[in-house]
Amino acid sequence: MTMFFTRRLAAAALAVLVAATACSADDDAAPQDGPDVLRVLAGSEVKDLEPLLKEAADAVGVRVSLTYAGTLDGAEQVASGGADGRYDATWFSSNRYLSLIDGAPAKLSTQTKIMISPVVLGLKRSKAHELGWDTKQVSWADIATAAGQKRFTFGMTNPASSNSGFSALVGVTAALSNAADALDAKQIAAVTPKLKEFFSAQTLTAGSSGWLADAYAGQGGQTSVDGLINYESVLLGMEKRVKEPLTIIYPSDGVVTADYPLTLLASSAKKDLYGKLATWLRTPDVQRKIMTTTFRRPILPEVRPDQRFGTAQLVELPFPNRRSTADGLISAYLNRVRRPSRTLFVLDTSGSMKGERLDSLKQALSALTGADTTASGQFSRFRDRETVTLLPFNSGPETPQSFTVPESNPDPVLKQIRSYGDALEARGGTAIYDSLRAAYQTLESRPSGNDFTSIVLMTDGDNTDGSSYDDFASYYATTSRTIRTFVVLFGDSDVGEMQQVAKLTGGASFDARKGSLASAFKEIRGYQ
Amino acid sequence: MKRWIGVGLALLLGAAVVVAIVIGGGDDGPGGGGTALKTVRGVIGSEKKPFFDDPQVKAAFAKHGLQVEVDTAGSRQIATSVDLGKYDFAFPSSVPAAEKIKQDRHASQTFSPFYSPMAIATFQPIVDVLTKAGVVRDSGSGYQILDVRKYLDLVAKGTRWDTLPGNTAYQARKRVLLTTTDVRTSNSAAMYLAITSYVANGDDVVNSSSQTAKAAQTVSPLFLDQGYSESSSEAPFEDYLAMGVGKTPMVVVYEAQYASRLFAGDGSIRPDMRLIYPSPTVLSKHTLVPFNDAATQVGALLQDDPEFARLEAKYGFRTSDPKVFTAQADAAKAKLPASLVDVVEPPTYDHLERLIATIEQRYLAEGKPAS
Repeated sequence: MTMFFTRRLAAAALAVLVAATACSADDDAAPQDGPDVLRVLAGSEVKDLEPLLKEAADAVGVRVSLTYAGTLDGAEQVASGGADGRYDATWFSSNRYLSLIDGAPAKLSTQTKIMISPVVLGLKRSKAHELGWDTKQVSWADIATAAGQKRFTFGMTNPASSNSGFSALVGVTAALSNAADALDAKQIAAVTPKLKEFFSAQTLTAGSSGWLADAYAGQGGQTSVDGLINYESVLLGMEKRVKEPLTIIYPSDGVVTADYPLTLLASSAKKDLYGKLATWLRTPDVQRKIMTTTFRRPILPEVRPDQRFGTAQLVELPFPNRRSTADGLISAYLNRVRRPSRTLFVLDTSGSMKGERLDSLKQALSALTGADTTASGQFSRFRDRETVTLLPFNSGPETPQSFTVPESNPDPVLKQIRSYGDALEARGGTAIYDSLRAAYQTLESRPSGNDFTSIVLMTDGDNTDGSSYDDFASYYATTSRTIRTFVVLFGDSDVGEMQQVAKLTGGASFDARKGSLASAFKEIRGYQ
Repeated sequence: MKRWIGVGLALLLGAAVVVAIVIGGGDDGPGGGGTALKTVRGVIGSEKKPFFDDPQVKAAFAKHGLQVEVDTAGSRQIATSVDLGKYDFAFPSSVPAAEKIKQDRHASQTFSPFYSPMAIATFQPIVDVLTKAGVVRDSGSGYQILDVRKYLDLVAKGTRWDTLPGNTAYQARKRVLLTTTDVRTSNSAAMYLAITSYVANGDDVVNSSSQTAKAAQTVSPLFLDQGYSESSSEAPFEDYLAMGVGKTPMVVVYEAQYASRLFAGDGSIRPDMRLIYPSPTVLSKHTLVPFNDAATQVGALLQDDPEFARLEAKYGFRTSDPKVFTAQADAAKAKLPASLVDVVEPPTYDHLERLIATIEQRYLAEGKPAS
C-alpha cells in the first residue's frame, strides 16, 4: 500500500512541476494528446473514477488523460493561464475557491456537476457509541466541546492542499461562528479560540484525502486516531479496509458539499469531446455506477441515493464569497489554530551536491521562508509557532540547528533560516543513515507533546559512509515509531531504499528528479 | 451551464463550424439530404441551449434551409464584453440587455418570441413555515405568492430559519435567504434584483441614480449575505433537485426551468416540491437582436411559426399565444397558472447596470482584509 501511494504522490508532484515549468522545453512530460483525448487537470480525489473513465473510450469515444494537482496549486495554474493549451478541462471536487480568484472565471467555460459528496466526520464505532453520537443528533459545537475535552482524536487533510480539509475548515468555522450568514474576516478572528479547541483533537494531517485514508487504515498500535473528517465517499469506501467500522456523523448544523464540476477550459477547442463525456457521465447508468463503485451521491435527480447514504437532512453551510476571507481562514488555521508543527530537515550537503544541486536546495529552503509569494507558496511557508530544525550532513551528521517561528512578527526568524540555508556548503561523503538516526535522536530527546512532528530526508546519492539501511531499521524499531519520514528523490538517490525508509516510518516519497526540489518541498508541507 | 466563453474559444469554435460545414456537408444536420443549409450563428443565454440543441428544433430550422449554431454567454456579457462581430444574432434573456445591443449595433428590429416569469422553487414544508410567518400566501388566482415586501423585512431583521415560529420542518441555523445566482454574471439574479429594487424603491421602477444608490443599499445583503453563489442559473436549480431542502430550501428560478422538468415527466420534480411566484415578479423576455437577414428569418420563425411555438412551450417558455403553454401544462397534468397578475417592468439597461455595479463594488470593498 505504501508503494501504491508513494508512486501516486510522485506522479502528482511531477504533474505540478510540469505545469510550473510550462514555458521550458519539458514537453515530453506533457499529457498525451490526440483528437479523441480530453486532457483533464484533476484533484487526486477523482482518482477512484479512473476505471469508469476507461469505459468512456468505448461508450462515447473519449479517452481521458488525467493529471493530478492539489486544490490551490490547480486553481493557481488555471487562474494564471498555466493550464491553457496544456489541458482541456478541469475536474476538482469544487470550483468555489477557484471562482474567487480574480480573472479565473474568465478561464472557465461550461461547468457540469457530476456527483455529490458532503464532508463529514467518521468515527470508530466504539468511540461514537461512547460519546453517544450513534443515537442522537450531534452539532459541530458538540463535536468541538468533546474535542476540547480530549475525548476523541481525528485526522483531516491540510486545507491549503486538499479540498476536503478546506471544506471541513469552512464548515466547522461557519457552524462554530455565531453569525448566521457567510463568513468574513471579523468572524474568523472571533471564532479562532473555538477553532483552536476543535482542532486540538486533530492528530493526523495529510496533503491528500487518499493518503489520509491510507494512513488511517494502516495505523499501528502506537498511534491511534479515532476518526477522520473527510468526504462521505472516502469514509464509506473505507468499510472493508478498517478493523473497526466507522460510524458516520452528519452534523445537524450543516456540512459543505463537493459537487465535482467537470469544467471546460475556455482555451480548449475540444468542446465536443467535453460535451460527450459530460453527457455520458450524467446518464442514469453511469450515475448508478458512480454511486455503487465510488460511494458518491448522484447529481441526476432521477437517480436517487440508495440506503447507504442515510436519511439525515444535510443543511449546506454558506461558503465565503471573497478570496480574502477564504485565504484568511486558511492562514488562521495554519498559523494560529492547528497544533504547531515540528519539522526536521535532513539535508545532503555532500560533495556531489556542489553547484546546481546545492543552489536548488537553497532555493527550496528559501521558498519555505516566504520567498514564494504565490498563495500556495505563502501557505507552505514555515508557520508561526513552528519549530524548524536543519540537520545538514556529509560524511556524518552536522550539529542540528533549530529555529522557532514566533506567533507574531515571524519575519526575522524566517530570515535567519534563509541565511542559514544560503550558507550551506557542499563537501565530503554521504552518511544517510547515521544522519537520519541523529535526526530521530534529536527529536526523541526533546519530546514536545502535541506538535505534529515529522522529518524530511533529502539526498542526491547512495549511502557512502557510516551505518546501513538495515542498521537504521533495527534502530528505528527501538524508537517510539511515531515520527514519519518524508523522503525526496533527487539526483541519483537510491529510489528503492528511499521508498523503504518512507514505508518503514509511515511517510511517503516525493520525486524531485525531473522537477525542482522547491516543488517537492512545497508538496510535503501539506503533510507536516 | 456556465456562460463565459473566451474570445479564443469563440474563434476556434468559429473555425470548427466552418470546417464542419465544408467537410461534413451537414451530416448531423437533420433533413440535410444533400441540400446545403445556411448556417446562422448566435450568442445566447445558457438557459436556451437545450432548446437549440433539441433535434426537433434543428429539424424545424432545416425545413427552412437553416442551421443555427449557438454559443452561450451571460446576458450581461452579451451586452458588454462578447465580440458580437462574430455572430449573426444575439439572444439575451432580458429586454434591458437586448435594448443595449440594439442600440450599440444599430439593429432595426428585435423579436421577443417567448418569455418566462421569475419564480421560486421550494418545498411544501418551507411554504408552510413561510405562510405562518406571513410571507407566503395564496394569490387568489390559483397559485401561491411570496410577498417580496414582507420578505425584505424578514431579511432586514437577519431572521434565521430556526427562529421562525412554528418551524419544525427546517431547523437550520442559517439565514432565511433565497438562493440566487451571482448577480455580477447571471441574468436570473439580475431579474431578481429588478424585482427587489422595485419594492425597495417604494413600489416603483428605479429610474434615477439617487434611487439606484438607495435601492442598492437595501437589496445588496440579499446577494452578499448568501456567501458564495454560482454563476449560472442551472447550477442552483440542479442542487435543488438533487440535494433537496437541506442545501437549497428556496431558489430563484425561471419558471421555464421548473416547467420543462414537469413537462418532461422525468420524475425529477418530487411530490413535496412547489413552485411559487414572487409578488411582484418580472418577466424574463428572451429577446433576439438580428444583425442580418438570415438572423431576421430565425427571429421571425421563433416568434411567429406555430411549430416553433410548440417546441418553445415544451421547454417551459410562454409564447404570445397562452394556449400553447396551457396545452403543454394540461397534457403533463402540471398545475401552473395561465397568467400572472402582479408583474412589473425591469429598470432600463443603464439603471439595472448601475444597480449591479454598486453591488459589485460592495463585494470588492468588503473583500479587503480587516486591518
